[in-house]
Amino acid sequence: MISIRSVSKAYARSKKPAVADLSIEVPAGEVVVLIGPSGCGKSTTMRMVNRLVEPDEGTITVDGRDVREFRPEALRRHIGYAIQGVGLFPHWTVAQNVGVVPGLLRWDRARISTRTLELLELVGLDPIRYQGKYPHELSGGEAQRVGVARALAADPPLLLMDEPFGAVDPLTRDMLHDEFRKIQSTLKKTVLFVTHDMDEAVKLGDRIAVMREGGLVQYDTPERVLAYPADEFVASFVGAERALKRLSLAPVTEALGPVAAAEGCACTVRSTASLREALARILELGATAIGVQDEHGTLVGSVSVETIVERFRRPLT
Amino acid sequence: MRTIRHILAPVIALGVYLALASATPLWRATLGALFPNETRILYPDVTPLGLVGQHLELVLISSAISITVGLALGIFVTRPAGADFRDVVTDLSNIGQTFPPVAVFTLAVPLLGFGVQPTVVALALYGVLPVLRNTISGLTDVSADVLESATGIGMRPTERLRRVELPLAAPVIVAGIRISVIVNVATATLGAIAGAGGFGAPIINGLVNLAPAVTLEGALLAAGLALVFDALLGGIERTLTMQRDATA
Repeated sequence: MISIRSVSKAYARSKKPAVADLSIEVPAGEVVVLIGPSGCGKSTTMRMVNRLVEPDEGTITVDGRDVREFRPEALRRHIGYAIQGVGLFPHWTVAQNVGVVPGLLRWDRARISTRTLELLELVGLDPIRYQGKYPHELSGGEAQRVGVARALAADPPLLLMDEPFGAVDPLTRDMLHDEFRKIQSTLKKTVLFVTHDMDEAVKLGDRIAVMREGGLVQYDTPERVLAYPADEFVASFVGAERALKRLSLAPVTEALGPVAAAEGCACTVRSTASLREALARILELGATAIGVQDEHGTLVGSVSVETIVERFRRPLT
Repeated sequence: MRTIRHILAPVIALGVYLALASATPLWRATLGALFPNETRILYPDVTPLGLVGQHLELVLISSAISITVGLALGIFVTRPAGADFRDVVTDLSNIGQTFPPVAVFTLAVPLLGFGVQPTVVALALYGVLPVLRNTISGLTDVSADVLESATGIGMRPTERLRRVELPLAAPVIVAGIRISVIVNVATATLGAIAGAGGFGAPIINGLVNLAPAVTLEGALLAAGLALVFDALLGGIERTLTMQRDATA
């Protein structure tokens, strides 16, 4: 768990503080996304956790211990760090890049190499093919995977990620998002994630912290940020089609109608699909309702435009 | 394979150079044939190989100092603690470079006396700039993302310097060392003015006594040594560049 309490930071050459009296809790095992326009202090906030930036005021604790109790290097070796530029070491192979933090932590060689292969596998890169490559031989997406593998190498409980999937094409980014979610669902790291992309925040975050001018404007679940933006600023930041974004957050099972409604329509979606996928199918087919199947293929209900509207009418808890 | 060739060829060149330098009769015969009417053919006091020894002493000691000082200063002014000194240091060393070497030697003699010592000091000062300049530019060219991630994953500043910054800057730094050493080989001939010996001794002796063969002896030896050093350091530079570009 990361706990940021009343933290402020002003840079020497700027009148306004970069971060002003900010408090935020990142619960253990959750992904908290810091989002906001450029200069809102989100990166500064993240960089104060591993002491790349020292706050002027306030305290930051990790698992109850003040980060200032540790030497910065010792602290950072136990916090995974991935950035947009990736910053792989160009003179080292992929394997050397991934093994760098375990090396700093004085793991023995055999353990480092086993761990390196394991991680390449985890981020979806064939270890045999990739371990000996140099960074310049990688595509943008591959480099970012290696960057994530490097951040995870020493199995840190905490991850700081500053737009780690920023510099790739939308298709690759989507794929990296899906894989990140898959990895996170098994590893359950405590993640502080910085982005300015609301779609990314909605897709990856358990909670979203919207920042503006160094302060916290709203801190809530993605669905609540979309449904009840705290003010005009958040509303405009999440965008006019925020209702459509909400669709991808809710599973079809939350808008289930009777099985009978889908009678005569041969088409179904799986119960794990989102409302967004269901609505897309409905629009494609021009159907009024489509069936919903569970994992065994049994019809468990139906989804229609009406049930979706009904779901959106219900207040969120 | 190519790495070996880059290093092996210059080493062979060095061997050939030393072998030729030690063949005093060959020098006498060749220069005698070129200047059949001259009575003074070779520098009288020291053999060609002896001159090589004197010259190498001047070059190796002064270059070692230039490299050490240039590297140390370059590293210092690219650290946060030394950043304030960066402009001062480069300005001073640029100004130092604008003094003609002859003037530096003439000024060094009354200050430091005659002999090897003042020559080494003057040469060392003169050779700092290329090393310093390239060290600074090599280190500042390392990408900000690479530095950020090195720090962010928990490298200490010294680990970052040793394992990331210096290896990535190495080809540029070696290019600076190469320039410094080559210039040094040539400039060291002026050491003879201060009585430090070396290839300048036959050059000046020949000029004073109107004996072109003797001047040519010194000039040939100096040119040969400059070529050998150029090849050696060029080989190292190419090897490092190849390694970095194979990887950058």
